[in-house]
Amino acid sequence: MMRLVAAALLLAAAAFPFAVYPAAPVTWLVLAALLAGGAGVALLSGPLVTAGGALALIAHAVALLIARAAIDPVGATTLGVTLTLLLLLVHFAGRVDGAVLGPGVLISQVRDWLVVAGVGVVAAGVLTAGGAALAGGLGGVTVPVMIAAAVLGAALTAAGVAALVAAREDPMSGR
Amino acid sequence: MTWRPTALNLSLLALAGWALFLGVLAGRADLIVVAVPPLVALVMGRRVSRPPALRADHAVSADRLVEDERVTVAVTLWADQAGLVEVLEPLPPGVRLESGGNHAFFLLPQGRPVRWEYTVRCAGRRRVRFGGLHVRRWGPLGLVATEGWTRPWRPVAVYPRLAPLKHLPRPLRTQTFVGNYVSPAQGEGIEPGDIRPFVPGDQVRHVNWRATLRLGALHVTQHHRERNADVVLLLDTLSEVGPSGETVVDAAARGATALAAAYLARKDRVGLIEYGGQLRWVRPGAGPAQFQRLADALLDASVVFTYVTRDLELIPRRVLPPQALVLALSPLLDARFVRAATDLAARGFDLVVIAVSPVAPARAAARPGRVTDVAARLWALERRAALDDLRRRGLTIVEWDGVAPLDTALATLRRPRLRRVLAG
Repeated sequence: MMRLVAAALLLAAAAFPFAVYPAAPVTWLVLAALLAGGAGVALLSGPLVTAGGALALIAHAVALLIARAAIDPVGATTLGVTLTLLLLLVHFAGRVDGAVLGPGVLISQVRDWLVVAGVGVVAAGVLTAGGAALAGGLGGVTVPVMIAAAVLGAALTAAGVAALVAAREDPMSGR
Repeated sequence: MTWRPTALNLSLLALAGWALFLGVLAGRADLIVVAVPPLVALVMGRRVSRPPALRADHAVSADRLVEDERVTVAVTLWADQAGLVEVLEPLPPGVRLESGGNHAFFLLPQGRPVRWEYTVRCAGRRRVRFGGLHVRRWGPLGLVATEGWTRPWRPVAVYPRLAPLKHLPRPLRTQTFVGNYVSPAQGEGIEPGDIRPFVPGDQVRHVNWRATLRLGALHVTQHHRERNADVVLLLDTLSEVGPSGETVVDAAARGATALAAAYLARKDRVGLIEYGGQLRWVRPGAGPAQFQRLADALLDASVVFTYVTRDLELIPRRVLPPQALVLALSPLLDARFVRAATDLAARGFDLVVIAVSPVAPARAAARPGRVTDVAARLWALERRAALDDLRRRGLTIVEWDGVAPLDTALATLRRPRLRRVLAG
């Protein structure tokens, strides 16, 4: 059941770039994202699903660049929530795979995920609104801010990939 | 116990990082917005207080079992904080899960216990020690976790299943206590013996009236006493073959337990000598307590590798009485045991060797194939020749494959009756 929900979330995440630009380079990237993410969902592997999510995100960025689409904060928020829920769900499913679930465990997790999704939507909305409000006044200083954001993003990515590669095996996973 | 971040942090970080990086690279603010939900999850998942105090209580429905019997393991957990708890109890070798699960997740309420049960089936003779409980308390969203484990619990003894034995080897010599064997000695008993002339002091109920009428003088019927015997089980633990739990030592221990139970039921005194790397013994005794002692000793019987040969002459007479029936259970693979058995027979001990065949266990452990089949058949032929040679040297040998009922193997044994031995 959890695999089915995760597969649906993966398909939804992969559908975003398709909706923007359903053509050649995006198709290949989406296919790669579906392969990696699908394998992750089937094996309930966090690193593979992360790779699939990242590929879907890259495909989305490529689609946005090629199509020169208008800024869509709602779509971006939905994609972010979808990918976050996908990661949370697959990691949880990997932990509980083969284990007995006590009463209320699943319900409490779903409640937590919905709270995160809700807060994420609100936070994204606040950020978008704040950004829109500041955009006019701070138009001239966006370059250093963007450079700082780029450095932060690159550092986070490098740290994430390095830690994923070096992640120790979970002694209680049973796999 | 301290909180530790889990791999989920890295996944969310990687996703947020990619979103920020691509957003900057593409110059699109909406890609940066994609990074917000994973970052929110990271922040919300790290909001934890001090690690909770957990307490686990473990109970097993029985601490003494017969093999293939089921046992229910019950674990009770308490925590001073509510939250998601993962528990895992690794199953020891030879233990199969029957119902429930040894790995579970619970939503633990604050200060109230949660009980968790599962049933396992214990196969084979062994002391099962459940490997302790691994407990992991998960923080919100599974972003942090704290772990702890308990020490292994008290072991559960899994005894071999007792096979009924009807064809027990009869001892050639009896002891002084009352038992089920007809002794050659005359005295009080129910088995009629010789007839002799009446002498003053004889009881009238022993008068044989038919012989008296025929011979014209009072004659009485003598009776044989019913006596018990001493039986010593000699278990060879010098070598073993076969897959774990189904080795020749396991088969021999299973047979020895059945023999001990059967002889003790006949009021005999039964002892045990474990002849291996460790020379251990249990003095002959009778009764249910003695059976428990023997069963416990047989449960711990195992091969301890050594080059040292221990002489059976070191064993005290009270452990190996000269009048005892010695039942040696051995695969006869180690020359030291063969020498010891031959020596015992030469010293006049009433010895019966139950030769547990190592061929089938070795075959089970080997890779199946034609070569294995041929090797097993050749080994069986060689073994038969070796056993015939030992029989020619005066050993009484019963072949047992360790799989078929021991009673079937013992039924083939032909032993002279007690009185005939004494007469001869």
